[in-house]
Amino acid sequence: MAKIAIDPITRIEGHLRIEAQVDGGEVTEAWSSATMWRGIEQILIGRDPRDAWYFTQRI
Amino acid sequence: MTAEKITLGQGLQKRGVSRRSFLKFCGAMTAALALPARYTSRIAEAVETKPRPPLLWLEYQDCAGNTESLLRASQPTVAQLVLDVLSVDYHETIMAPAGHQAEKSLRDTMEKYKGQYIVVVEGSIPTKDDGVYCTIGGRTALDLVKDIGGSAAAVIAAGTCAAYGGLPAAAPDPTGAVGVSKVLSTVPILNLPGCPMNVINLTATVVHYLTFGELPAVDQFGRPLFAYGERIHDHCERRAHYDAGQYAEAWGDEGHRKGWCLYKMGCKGPETYHNCPVVRWNEGTNWPIGAGHGCAGCAEPGFWDSMTPFYRRLPNTPGFGVETSADKVGLGVVAGVTGAFTMHGLVSAMRATGEPLAEHETINKEENTDG
Repeated sequence: MAKIAIDPITRIEGHLRIEAQVDGGEVTEAWSSATMWRGIEQILIGRDPRDAWYFTQRI
Repeated sequence: MTAEKITLGQGLQKRGVSRRSFLKFCGAMTAALALPARYTSRIAEAVETKPRPPLLWLEYQDCAGNTESLLRASQPTVAQLVLDVLSVDYHETIMAPAGHQAEKSLRDTMEKYKGQYIVVVEGSIPTKDDGVYCTIGGRTALDLVKDIGGSAAAVIAAGTCAAYGGLPAAAPDPTGAVGVSKVLSTVPILNLPGCPMNVINLTATVVHYLTFGELPAVDQFGRPLFAYGERIHDHCERRAHYDAGQYAEAWGDEGHRKGWCLYKMGCKGPETYHNCPVVRWNEGTNWPIGAGHGCAGCAEPGFWDSMTPFYRRLPNTPGFGVETSADKVGLGVVAGVTGAFTMHGLVSAMRATGEPLAEHETINKEENTDG
């Protein structure tokens, strides 16, 4: 029984970490984590709604 | 993707790029760098003979928009090659290895080419709460950028986030996001802001580095003067409409359909320094203002706060005031033209009365006989 972690996951847009519990060559449990946070929801609060597309386009 | 000591010239030959296309590319780069044409041969020589430096592309608080911009360099074959042949040893979005293998690739280049590799950073670096808002392989972006960037020959901050904090740093800046130059000071850093940066400017920067062995001259915001030395407004194809007081007043109105100035729709061109109107996007096809949307000011530090709301017009515009410009400029022009006509009239009158016969009279007579 071993736990493996793949970080960074490449060839994707964004940051991702995958951890998996491997038991006899089979994954029995797995966890994913997004390892980057910017708080765009908080940044949008109080702004002109017409600007929202420009901000969220950068997600 | 291991770095071999081959030159770009060899890479080009392998790809079957003709000498003619190569020199054409060098000429375009000379122009992009705002250098006199005689530098073309020097650039060609440097690009052909200097070993390509390994490049590590690091992504932190990013959206991969600058990566998209980089990949858009695929059409002009030679421009692509400069970047392709650059030996990109680490780039999370496009590299084959993942996890430990990816990290190994990074470490190998760092050890083998210590002090020689170029680092491109995309995305801001969060500093709040010990940098927990961005981690890769269990290490914070803050720790990584100091480590990897600290042993580089030069660091290029690609895009406004890496240069100045960008979107994550917009109020209320939840993660304490900053640009590379705020956390790294031991190596030369060049900012290529823009949301995203234009890949032509990255290519030109690399070519400059290969040719002169140093990063290009910069302004007070660390941006290369060749790309950020002039305002959008100065080279805007709609500038004549601005000067003539012809503005789009609503989306889809007559002025908008006719391609008039977008200043009143919130265009930030008058306060933004970038070569966007000259180099354009998508193989020089078009650019935001050409497509009918005002400039958002994306190459300026803090534009997410200082240039928003995007659709509110700028309060004051450098140069002459816009509110009164149409009339004032119009009157000025009329006065100037009247003056010119008056002078012309006086000179003509003097000539007409003088002896010998003035030249224009001879011409007039000839015209009359023709009629």
